[in-house]
Amino acid sequence: MDFRLTSEEETLRRQVERFVREELIPLEPVFEGAPDIFEGSRWKSRAKVSRDPEVHRYIAIIEGLKKKAEASNLWHLDVPKRYGGREVSNVAMIAVTEELEKAAVPFELGNHVSNILYACKGEQVERFLLPCIRGEKTACFGLTEPGAGSDPSMMAATAVPDGDDFVIDGTKMFPTFGDVADFVQVFARLPGTKGREGVTCFLVDTGHPGYRVVRSIETIAGSEPCELVFDGCRVPKGQVLGEVGEGWKLNQAWLGARRFQVGIRCHGTALRVLRRVAELLRSDSRERERLAPALGHFMGELEALRSITYHGSWKADQRLDVRFEAASVKLFATELLHRAVDFGLEAAGPAAFRKEHAIARAFRYARPRRIVEGASEIQRHMIQRTLFREGTACLELQ
Amino acid sequence: MDLLLSEEERLIRDTAARFVAQELIAREVAFLKQKEPFVPPGDPARRTLDDAIEKSLTEQAKRIGLWALELPEGAGGSSVGQVARVLIYREFGRTALPFEPPPIPAALAASPYARALASGELSLALAFDETHKTGDLSAVRAAYRHRSGGYELASDGMDVIRPDANLYLLPALEHESGDVGLFLVERGAAGVRVDSAADLNNDKVVARLTLSACAVPRDSRVGGGAEAEAVIASEQLRIAARSLGIAMRCLEASLEHARNRVTFSRPLSSRQSIQWMLADVAVALRTSTWLTLEAAWKADQGLPYFCDAALAKTRAARMAFEAADTAIQIHGGYGVAKEFPFESFYREARMMRLLYGREAEVDRKIGERFAGTGL
Repeated sequence: MDFRLTSEEETLRRQVERFVREELIPLEPVFEGAPDIFEGSRWKSRAKVSRDPEVHRYIAIIEGLKKKAEASNLWHLDVPKRYGGREVSNVAMIAVTEELEKAAVPFELGNHVSNILYACKGEQVERFLLPCIRGEKTACFGLTEPGAGSDPSMMAATAVPDGDDFVIDGTKMFPTFGDVADFVQVFARLPGTKGREGVTCFLVDTGHPGYRVVRSIETIAGSEPCELVFDGCRVPKGQVLGEVGEGWKLNQAWLGARRFQVGIRCHGTALRVLRRVAELLRSDSRERERLAPALGHFMGELEALRSITYHGSWKADQRLDVRFEAASVKLFATELLHRAVDFGLEAAGPAAFRKEHAIARAFRYARPRRIVEGASEIQRHMIQRTLFREGTACLELQ
Repeated sequence: MDLLLSEEERLIRDTAARFVAQELIAREVAFLKQKEPFVPPGDPARRTLDDAIEKSLTEQAKRIGLWALELPEGAGGSSVGQVARVLIYREFGRTALPFEPPPIPAALAASPYARALASGELSLALAFDETHKTGDLSAVRAAYRHRSGGYELASDGMDVIRPDANLYLLPALEHESGDVGLFLVERGAAGVRVDSAADLNNDKVVARLTLSACAVPRDSRVGGGAEAEAVIASEQLRIAARSLGIAMRCLEASLEHARNRVTFSRPLSSRQSIQWMLADVAVALRTSTWLTLEAAWKADQGLPYFCDAALAKTRAARMAFEAADTAIQIHGGYGVAKEFPFESFYREARMMRLLYGREAEVDRKIGERFAGTGL
């Protein structure tokens, strides 16, 4: 048993640690007052279409950071080698994100590439995948519907084969950046299918006839997911991602790997909140005496979260089934962040409820986490299902 | 990072698991069904493990290397390291049969008593009562003084669990210097008084230990503050490991019962309230497992691990208590029946939460450190 990062992973972690210390931490005061649009991690596409000069001032700062990161070979970390990336392990990406999260600056290393796009084949690679890796295009994810979220059997959008094409009809709710993305990864079912069978994923360009962005929906967290409508949208079968009828597997794969990143992000956000609380207590010994036990409790919770996040991503690196671990991390991380932020507000008082205050931001960011990408209730469902199927074998040490 | 057990660790774990299943769990039902009339302490009618059985189990455990885990082989121990020790105690935690390798701290390796302790000829009680509230040495009040040829110990009274042991190990403070020493004292030594024995809720006996001008030879000092702290951390890891075992057993049995028990023509396993109780136990068990193993691994690597051990212990003991509580609730009336192990786990886990650092105190220390240094 060995809990250390490999020397390669440790070198990368140190490199990122230095980047954060030298480049990001000094920018924290600058971003403290940044517009809402920079919240969360995937602000890029929306911010770029903004007409607000203030927003573009921040974009310029981030573009500068990107150049520095590229120069240090820190840009395409999780991109497979065959597409010019470094293909570092899941564990390494957790360590990288843990370091990045130490700075309250909305900066990620790398362009956001939805991992299901690695299922691209033939000309799809040039048209969809590579532009995403290069940061020239962004994609949105069209799965949820007005009447279907976590349960695939409720999915109503259809894809009817017609010659060499499919005709897609249906409505998709809440794809983040649906209004600014270059294409959508949309899920629809073949006629006469039920449950997860027949679900197929298509890549459809924004502006394709029959595909419309109806509206964007403002949310508590500053992101503006959209409502998309597909109305007789005719797509050639060359735009099926993966195999026809195998779309649900892609969705599962997308969620599986992401969960551990969600875990370490929640860890980082909660830690930044607790750091603010600790700063307040440093100069107030009476408050410190009162709140130290609660603060310590949350630090312990964060250690617990960190340990299962690393364990899960290590297991993913071994190419083992991590659905149980992923569900545990998603549930524990998002519920913990919510509680930690709640405590942070109690400790810091109404002053921390000012909209631009770090804790107030975390408060808005934390709430949707317990819903998006599988609500806590779904995670508990997944966990109990594995427990009843496998017994405690799923908790045994291997 | 490699979170698989090594070949050796797996072998040790499997050995312990086999022993616990074949020798301990197999005897559990008979043990639990013994009637336990309400009687004063020391009365032979109390529910106990038969002496002959205990002796034969001890011999078997010694033979397969599951005894005196902390002592080197030269002193008659199996010296297995903390990760392996956690794996072993995790297995022993799975049964309510009161049998496990007694903790004999590594600090005793060089003591003249080491061999007799390892062989089971002599028994040891850890008189660490004064450390239970804080989980550190800050509340130690037992005192030591130098005298010609050795030391003089004094304590106006502390609780000792297992007071019938032949030897007591305790930390004591030299008031002038603030130095803490770790002392091994014979129960029969002059100045040692043990009285007021009473039963604890977890089937153990506690008594009051008083030391008045108790003169001990020089070699009875087996360590200083660092060794005393290591005893605390090592006990914390043992408790954390037992907690993991308790929770595994509770979860396993609850899943089984929920599958089989039908209410209003549906199995309990189909009820969301039951499913979610078990899901929460599983998540907490997972976090405690990795915190405990990481703390033990750090100990084996020679890295600082006292804070990690304290955190693992408070979280794991609490988790075991909740797992037992859940198991009792799911088993209904059987859950509180003494024929089943769950009420026993429940009592044991509640006690473990009180030993070597209360939750609020460990939390407070972590919080103080974070608020003080920002680390």
